[in-house]
Amino acid sequence: MIQNVWLIPALPLAAFLINGLLGRRWLKHATGWIATGAVAASAFIAIDVFLEVLGGHERTTVTLYRWIGVGDFNINVSALVDPLSSVMLLVVTVVGTLIFIFANGYMAHDHGFARFFTWFSLFVFAMLILVMADNYLLMFVGWEGVGLCSYLLIGFWFERPAPQHAANKAFWMNRIGDWGYTIGMITTFLVFGSMTYTDVFAKVGTVTQANLTLICIAFFVGAAGKSAQLPLHSWLPDAMEGPTPVSALIHAATMVTAGVYLVARSTPLFVAAGPALQVVAVVGAVTAIFAATIALVQMDIKRVMAYSTVSQLGYMFLALGVGAPVAAIFHLATHAFFKALLFLGSGSVIHGLGNEQDMRKMGGLRRKMPVTYWTMLIAGGALAALPPLAGFWSKDEILSGAFLSGQTALWAVGIVTAILTAFYVTRAMWMTFHGEPRDRHLYDHAHESPAVMTLPLVALAVGSATLGLLIGFPPDQGFIHSFLGPAVAVEGAAEHAPELSTLLGLAGVSVAAGIVGIVIGIAMYVRHRPDPAAVTRAAGPIYRLLVNKYYVDELYDHRVLEAARAFFGVLWAFDVHVIDGLANGIGRLAAAGGAGARRLQTGLVGNYALTVVVGLLVVLVAYGGYAAGVFKR
Amino acid sequence: MSFDLIETILFALLTIGIVGGAVGVVFLNRITGAALLMAFTFLCNAGMFVLLGAETIAAFQVLIYVGAITVLILYGVMFTPQQERPYGLFFQKQTPWAALFVAPIGIFVALFAFSFRDSENPSTKGGDLVPLATSVFRDFAFPFEVASVLLLAAMIGAIVLVKRDDE
Amino acid sequence: MNIPVGAFIAVSSVLFFIGVAGVLMRRNAVVILMCVELMLNAANLALVAFSRRGGSADERGSVFVVFIFVIAAAEVAVGLAIVLSSYRNRPTVDVDELHAMKG
Repeated sequence: MIQNVWLIPALPLAAFLINGLLGRRWLKHATGWIATGAVAASAFIAIDVFLEVLGGHERTTVTLYRWIGVGDFNINVSALVDPLSSVMLLVVTVVGTLIFIFANGYMAHDHGFARFFTWFSLFVFAMLILVMADNYLLMFVGWEGVGLCSYLLIGFWFERPAPQHAANKAFWMNRIGDWGYTIGMITTFLVFGSMTYTDVFAKVGTVTQANLTLICIAFFVGAAGKSAQLPLHSWLPDAMEGPTPVSALIHAATMVTAGVYLVARSTPLFVAAGPALQVVAVVGAVTAIFAATIALVQMDIKRVMAYSTVSQLGYMFLALGVGAPVAAIFHLATHAFFKALLFLGSGSVIHGLGNEQDMRKMGGLRRKMPVTYWTMLIAGGALAALPPLAGFWSKDEILSGAFLSGQTALWAVGIVTAILTAFYVTRAMWMTFHGEPRDRHLYDHAHESPAVMTLPLVALAVGSATLGLLIGFPPDQGFIHSFLGPAVAVEGAAEHAPELSTLLGLAGVSVAAGIVGIVIGIAMYVRHRPDPAAVTRAAGPIYRLLVNKYYVDELYDHRVLEAARAFFGVLWAFDVHVIDGLANGIGRLAAAGGAGARRLQTGLVGNYALTVVVGLLVVLVAYGGYAAGVFKR
Repeated sequence: MSFDLIETILFALLTIGIVGGAVGVVFLNRITGAALLMAFTFLCNAGMFVLLGAETIAAFQVLIYVGAITVLILYGVMFTPQQERPYGLFFQKQTPWAALFVAPIGIFVALFAFSFRDSENPSTKGGDLVPLATSVFRDFAFPFEVASVLLLAAMIGAIVLVKRDDE
Repeated sequence: MNIPVGAFIAVSSVLFFIGVAGVLMRRNAVVILMCVELMLNAANLALVAFSRRGGSADERGSVFVVFIFVIAAAEVAVGLAIVLSSYRNRPTVDVDELHAMKG
């Protein structure tokens, strides 16, 4: 029943409240099952809603109540149930359920277990609100909510300084994005008179190009902040300080895809504002290759995955920018599966090694952790876009879309990035699972993770392997295209029906790129031709540049933050001197007034008598004036 | 000599007595002298009452003021001996301010009072005791009772105030 | 009587303001009390003079004067009691030195 769609966020909200209020003292480890149960139930309802939409309810608005009604400004708390939102609901709840199950095992020994599931449930609630909203303001509520939960969960182990800094950094960069979103949202209202999607999209033709471009650029700033695109990307790798399930759910599968969802949802706006779309494509492509280069040299397994996420998000924005929103959402869905799997697998490795994350200390683990190994291998293959795994279908569509829209330069960037992606994934796999163990002690104590953690890995692996085939085959005519196409279609958008040969050729180039990357990886790491250490030495300055992440963080700290700190110093001085000065000044004024008035109390009777006589003078003057007619009666 | 002339002379003499006595009270250094001059002023005031034809009131004035109150004041003077100070500067610290405020009032009011110059003359009828007593005990019986209570309270209060603590 | 009422009022007001001047100028508390008596006398004189104004004598002025007598007597008694009691604490009746209630 589509009318039940409000249960989907309500159940995680209930879990949040129960866990939050009762979890710490009474429920303890039951919090995990309550939260997981809530998300699982939401997943079932989401499937039901999805089937209903599939069955013909193309677009339904389910209103809960009227939130704001002030003059012309009307916002309802209502859900828009259409193909796009139902797909997102599925992704969030299904992948979420699997990650929740995994987290029950991963966080089992953590003393903040109840707190973890409280925030985790709150996050799911906020994300669902974001995805279900039918207007920009309600989406913003979810938008802010996921930002908040990201902060809370990155800084989960707040006793240590690094997570604190990372959480702050994530929140601040998100905030910059939120500023962009707010400008876009308010401008939308000013220009269109409404914030509801259906109202806005219906009136796109009536608005000037300049206004549309402004709105779209503003929204894209918001998306860049949330989805870690240049230049607001550096919070995502630092966010790896949070527990691995957090990295999997928030920073791979769901929150970071909110930006993609925003742009996809606003496709009618973006398509009509041509320059904005171009900006999206270029930023996406540049971010993709930028992040991939950094991932080549990272030693922490989670960092590799983090930069990989940034890179893949860049692909999604590239897809949106070249006019293939269906491809973007498709890649969003497949990426959710295989990236979550990669993160959870990393978590399994880390858990099995007793919290070791440095790949230089790993090696040969495939013998000790077979389930983890095979599932991660499938995910890695999906990431490298090897057919017939899921990633191939979605990434190939993006690249074809880029090529067919005439943006050959961006297509080339995408191909190069694909090579790099395949390379670094191979490198990560080899360093972790193959070869000789580099740290004997760690290797001896390594063990496979318990079933509660490995079963979700298997489930996700199945998804990573088959999802692409299931919903995306054949290209451009698969299930997802017919399902999503109408939801993000724009009247008058260019229809290109490419030839089969073109498609096959492009697919071949994509596959080739992947294979080239893998081959180079194997050559360097298995046969040591060329030897990685030699390459590192030879590429000295370039290597240092990459390892230091292009010095972006240092740049921000020096240029931006120094200026910001100066400004904050001014504000703080204003607060202390002017505002506090005013408040204290009023107090001092009262005290001074009192002290001055106190001087009247001399204690001398004669003074008091004098005061009485002065009063007499006033009375006499008044009376005399009255009698003489000076004062009016 | 006509009666009018005697009246005028008497009035002039009494005025001089009153004003002179009052000035003496204010400016005399010796307290006893000031107290006695105050009694003199009261006496001249009684004379004024007689001139106005209020003989009973004059009698009461002499009895109460010259009699009781002067004695009380002298008792007060007796029980509060001070160091004999040289003449000069026995004014309060606020005297300049007082002069600033009071002098204009005084002058103003005196001038104002003189504006009654050509109003009518007072009648000297009445002033007998019986009508006064009738008035007090019949028409104003309640204020009379209140006044007696006031006297009682004042008496008790005065006694309590001067009681020594070690008794 | 050929002396106008105004003359009596003038005398009364002069006496009153001399009394005021005394209260504000003299330092000895007993002398201040004496000056207060002067002021009361001035009020009595004014009352009696006004009650004789017009054709007939109004008794109410005289009744009021009787009450003022009573009150003046009570006030002097209590006032002197206070002065004596204060004299016991500090052996002074100088009002410039009795400022313990300052501030």
